[in-house]
Amino acid sequence: MSINIDRPCGTFDRNYFQAKEIFRTPLRKALLILLLGSMYLLPYLTNDYGISILTIICAYSIGMLGLQIITGYCGQISIGHAAFMGIGMYTVGILQRHFGLSFWACLPLAGLVPMLIGMLFGIPALRIKGLYLAFATLAAHFVIVYVISNWRSVTNGTDGIRMNRPGPLWGIDFSADRNYYFLVLTATVLMVYLATNLTRTKLGRALVAVRDNDIAAEVMGINIAHTKILAFGIGCFFAGIAGALGGAYYEYVNVEWFGLDDSIWFLGFLVVGGFGSIFGAIAGAAVWKIMDELSTLVTPLAETFLGGAAFYASAAFSLVFYALIIIIFLVFEPRGIAHRWQMIKRSYRLHPFPY
Amino acid sequence: MEETLNAFVFGICNGGIYSLLAVSYVVIYKSTRVFPFSQAAVLILGAYIMWYCLIAWHLPIWLGFLITCSAGAILGIFIERAFMRRLVGQPILAPIVVTLCLMLLLRGVGILLGKGNIQGFGESFLPVGAWKIGFLHIPEIQVFGFVLCTGLIGALMLFYEKTRVGLAMRIVHEDHVMAQSLGLNVRRVFQYSWVISCVIASIAGMLLGNIQGVGLGLDANGLVAIAAVLFGGLESFAGAIIAGLAIGILQMLTIIYIAPLLPGETTMMIPFILLLLVLFLKPYGLFGLTRIERL
Repeated sequence: MSINIDRPCGTFDRNYFQAKEIFRTPLRKALLILLLGSMYLLPYLTNDYGISILTIICAYSIGMLGLQIITGYCGQISIGHAAFMGIGMYTVGILQRHFGLSFWACLPLAGLVPMLIGMLFGIPALRIKGLYLAFATLAAHFVIVYVISNWRSVTNGTDGIRMNRPGPLWGIDFSADRNYYFLVLTATVLMVYLATNLTRTKLGRALVAVRDNDIAAEVMGINIAHTKILAFGIGCFFAGIAGALGGAYYEYVNVEWFGLDDSIWFLGFLVVGGFGSIFGAIAGAAVWKIMDELSTLVTPLAETFLGGAAFYASAAFSLVFYALIIIIFLVFEPRGIAHRWQMIKRSYRLHPFPY
Repeated sequence: MEETLNAFVFGICNGGIYSLLAVSYVVIYKSTRVFPFSQAAVLILGAYIMWYCLIAWHLPIWLGFLITCSAGAILGIFIERAFMRRLVGQPILAPIVVTLCLMLLLRGVGILLGKGNIQGFGESFLPVGAWKIGFLHIPEIQVFGFVLCTGLIGALMLFYEKTRVGLAMRIVHEDHVMAQSLGLNVRRVFQYSWVISCVIASIAGMLLGNIQGVGLGLDANGLVAIAAVLFGGLESFAGAIIAGLAIGILQMLTIIYIAPLLPGETTMMIPFILLLLVLFLKPYGLFGLTRIERL
């Protein structure tokens, strides 16, 4: 993906100052501030249910950004992303349970521990790529879930661990859902900023080069080993932070929350959102979690038609429905919502003419 | 010693089914270069259809077998025609995501078919009982399953070596573009491989359903077979068969030597540890092709 893809035809950077700018036009800056402001005002307009959905969307957006860096930017397929998110959750849970640390002390560790483990499981990426790497991450997923569910003395096995919300900071009490949403939203904004800046750095360009053709990238003097391992590390760092924030929201962690399905949905909804764009990652996470809510709405509907059989019907419904949506996107719009959004913007700009 | 020997025999019997499943992956990968993760769920469907034929509709076994096989064939045609054909030429990620999603989709269909429970076949269609040879204690059901698997694999190998379609499949494996320019219908060959693979997977599903009980947990066998495929090398039938047997033995040895030491589902875990080791040490497996890339 070139950086200029979402620009109108004929807009070029004429000097380094322009190339380094985050906001190309004042209008974009104003729109972004408006969006952020409305995101902070949203919880005052919705009820608790709306706030819970927003919090989860924000937390999963961070996780999805991590996968976007691994898969979307660096091109390394990972079918174990949910497990790394789980490591983040469990890091916080274990540190709180065994050492009584506060959430604020755990949060950086919740990023660093998955980062190290992710770099460890990223080592096969040095020799293999594509399908073979998918196998390696699949195996990583199973190994991680096995360790978590069986190392009972530390992780409490399949019973899960209770977690505490972060303590008050500057007089803000995070046990209230609305205040906690502000925390998660702020973290999301920060992580989005980090990820956006990453794509503008030397490392970010190296990631894209490795994705597009790793041999060519190596010829150009990019240290592939370094870049791939770093991509895994950074991606898993994001996943860990997402896990810590999500787990603290529920105040509970369970190993069943990150099954193989979740890892596959992570990858699938990244496709739905769009590869290689920050907006795509957030869109993918939003679609995923909104669909989750829709599928819980289906359960009472299924109960009226099927009676006692509703439980399995809704489980099957979400599997079939999500899978169909992802496949339809891959067949008809493989570049995802992000690309469609660019098309809409372009057709608006060029309105009377097709191009 | 006796225990170990028994584990070997038992493991080889179990490994026959893994070999069959591994072959069902290799058939597709060899001709289409798409790795069909979905086969892990096709075997659930095969088991459930057989269950319906035998228990719900009270059909004779041979008819149930035929119905299940043809259902597998139809499923194969459907998957190829509806999803995979549209993805030819897309980057590697698209087929991986689609087959993974198909796995979950078929799993969802499996939940609908089985109403969420684990079902048994009522009475086994393979003979139950056990032979005692010296200290060896061999359940007949495993032996017959193994014999069936070997027969099927043998038939498939003959098909590959002796028939025109098999020849076409081998040519397509070499090079898609060259095969097309020689006048072969590459799409047809893709379709054949999906049909063959899905039929094999549903037969494996029937056998596993008979041995382990019909349920959603059956796809664990499919996932373990993925480890076998990679161990043997993605393009190699011989590798798949040998690695399937090896994984079967490894699982049985795990039950004896490792399961007492570690908690939980070690039999599910050890094949994946092996997979990671293989990827670290010899990424292209025992007999796989090492692809050398050029700029």
